[in-house]
Amino acid sequence: MKHPPFAVLKLPLLLMLASMLLAVGGALWSRGQAQDAALALQQQHSALNGARQQLDRSRQQQQLIATHLADYQALAKRGFVGPEDRLAWIEAAQHANRDAALYGLDYRLTPRTPSPSALAQGLPLGQTAMTLTLPLLVETDLPHFLAALKARAPGVFHVHGCRLSRLSDAPFDAANPPRLEAVCELLWFTLAEKPGTGS
Amino acid sequence: MIFGRRLILLATPRQIGVLDWRPGHMHWLGEFQASAEGLAAFRQIVVKHAHLAMLLVADTVDEDYRSEILPHVQGRARDELLTRKLKQVFRNARFTGAWRQAREAIGRRDDRYLLAALTDADWLTPWLSVLHREQVPLSGITPLAMACQQLLSKLKLQEPHILLACRLNSSLRLSYYHNGLLRFSRLIGSDTPTQQPGNAADEIAKTQLYLAGQRILPREARLHVVLIDPTGQLDGAQAPLNADPAFSTRLIDMPSLARALRIPDDFLAATPEVAPLAAIAGEAMQLNLAPPELLQRHTEFRWQRGLHAATAGIALLGLSITATYWLHAQDLNDQTHQLAQQQQQFDSRHQTIARSFSAQTAAPEQLAQTVALARQLDSRQPDTNALLSAIGQAMRITPEITLESIRWTDEPLGPAGEARVELDAALSPFDGNYRAAMQRIEGFMQALRAVPSIHAVNLSRSPVNADSSGTLTGKTFGADTAEAPAAHFSISLLYREARP
Repeated sequence: MKHPPFAVLKLPLLLMLASMLLAVGGALWSRGQAQDAALALQQQHSALNGARQQLDRSRQQQQLIATHLADYQALAKRGFVGPEDRLAWIEAAQHANRDAALYGLDYRLTPRTPSPSALAQGLPLGQTAMTLTLPLLVETDLPHFLAALKARAPGVFHVHGCRLSRLSDAPFDAANPPRLEAVCELLWFTLAEKPGTGS
Repeated sequence: MIFGRRLILLATPRQIGVLDWRPGHMHWLGEFQASAEGLAAFRQIVVKHAHLAMLLVADTVDEDYRSEILPHVQGRARDELLTRKLKQVFRNARFTGAWRQAREAIGRRDDRYLLAALTDADWLTPWLSVLHREQVPLSGITPLAMACQQLLSKLKLQEPHILLACRLNSSLRLSYYHNGLLRFSRLIGSDTPTQQPGNAADEIAKTQLYLAGQRILPREARLHVVLIDPTGQLDGAQAPLNADPAFSTRLIDMPSLARALRIPDDFLAATPEVAPLAAIAGEAMQLNLAPPELLQRHTEFRWQRGLHAATAGIALLGLSITATYWLHAQDLNDQTHQLAQQQQQFDSRHQTIARSFSAQTAAPEQLAQTVALARQLDSRQPDTNALLSAIGQAMRITPEITLESIRWTDEPLGPAGEARVELDAALSPFDGNYRAAMQRIEGFMQALRAVPSIHAVNLSRSPVNADSSGTLTGKTFGADTAEAPAAHFSISLLYREARP
């Protein structure tokens, strides 16, 4: 017999076909399950990494808060954080003038401008220039005044520059009126308060 | 194990024995006489085992063997050649077969065939009718001598010329094997008086003469006679044969035979006829005497069995792949579940920490940055006292220099403790000698450079501009001049606080 006896092989062939279909179907189904599971695992890995990073970040934030909250609150109380308080600055200048036993001063405040980005480092930092003109008896009055102002400063300021010049060439006499004039430019820095973005 | 199981039938003109065989196990189902009762009982056995392949081993005196050298051809040409040859040799015998044993090493390299036939097989017809009626898958019909060839193989006998004398069913079968391949066989019926030792030895000697006469056995060859007889009747033939230098004999006892066939001694002792059947049961059939029409059912059976095996294989493969993928998926799901639990723990910890952030008005990073920035702004201020003292140091060395003004700027972005300073000064008294004035100014600049915290001292404005590209005007004074003029100049420098 050269050819297969198909007449008697119908059932075995059908069984083989069914077996083949079931095998292929089962393999495809289970492969799909494995692929889905692999995808889910990959997504879960990503989610876990995200959660781990979030937790690490929150721990770092917690550490940052624990380290810096008191200082921040002190700065806020001092007036560095929040809207500028020009009256407090003027009062501080007046008090420092009195503390240094000087002869009064003239002040001038310019509008608040944003600080250079290199200085602000991404923070909403603004600066207000205050020009003080004050007569001095001797040169050392200026450091005294600046130290007194530093002690009373309701905020953070930076002495941008000073010009100390002689008003007359008269010899020094403690009873004479002041012979020196100082013109200083101070930069008062304030940080605009931003709503918290902590997670 | 249905695939290896089969029934081996040992058919003689008087009876038929049935062995149920599968690898490692066998069971003798009994002998059935060639009578109506025997046929009925045989039929019952066949019906019960109709799903198994069956091999019929014929043991009859009416058999013929012929060695032929035929041209080496293949395929359909070989089939046609053998059909013609079998018809030519055995005429109208129904049960014939050819076995290509070897190929000649010299000459045309022809094929050597053993042709065999059951010359009278009428006695076989009733048994075959039963098998045909029950549609049994008969795998073939082979002579008992072929089964005995497998027996010799199991006994591992290596002699080139072996005459196997095997006494079964009260008959003596003498079969000659050259290099382990059957060349000739004859059955001496039970009516022949072989019980006497001398008679058996005579029959063997006659057979030797016949083989030599027919040139089947070379004249100078020494014939190795192997005696197998469960009844022990051939034991007496060993001595006379050994006395003849043309023979060497070996008696195979039942325990040795059972050991070689790996069957129990008592089973072999009870049914010695299973020995050749057990030997051939697991082997491929080399000489098949069955006509094709008797093998049709077996062909179908083999196809069905092959397809069933393929079906089972495919199912098993599919099941294995499915199980592997499924188990892998379960493993991945377990991992995903574990990771999800870990994520929940992380989220929970994060929520716990994040709850403490709710009171803050700024982000923690901004909070830290704000504090750092405030510190930076606070720490950059140079000490004004120190700056004035540093310049005062140089002034004390050069009392003729009068300071008119001093300016300094400290950029918030500049290095901490560093300020750019401009000095406006005058040389007083000044006698109009600019050369001397310049020397004194240079002295003042040297005094400034000597101060450690002062760097980059430069004269930014000279009392006089002696540059060739400009216009120079002025006035000289006499020695009696009452009011001495001043030589004004400016110096720029960089003040940098010395760090501890």
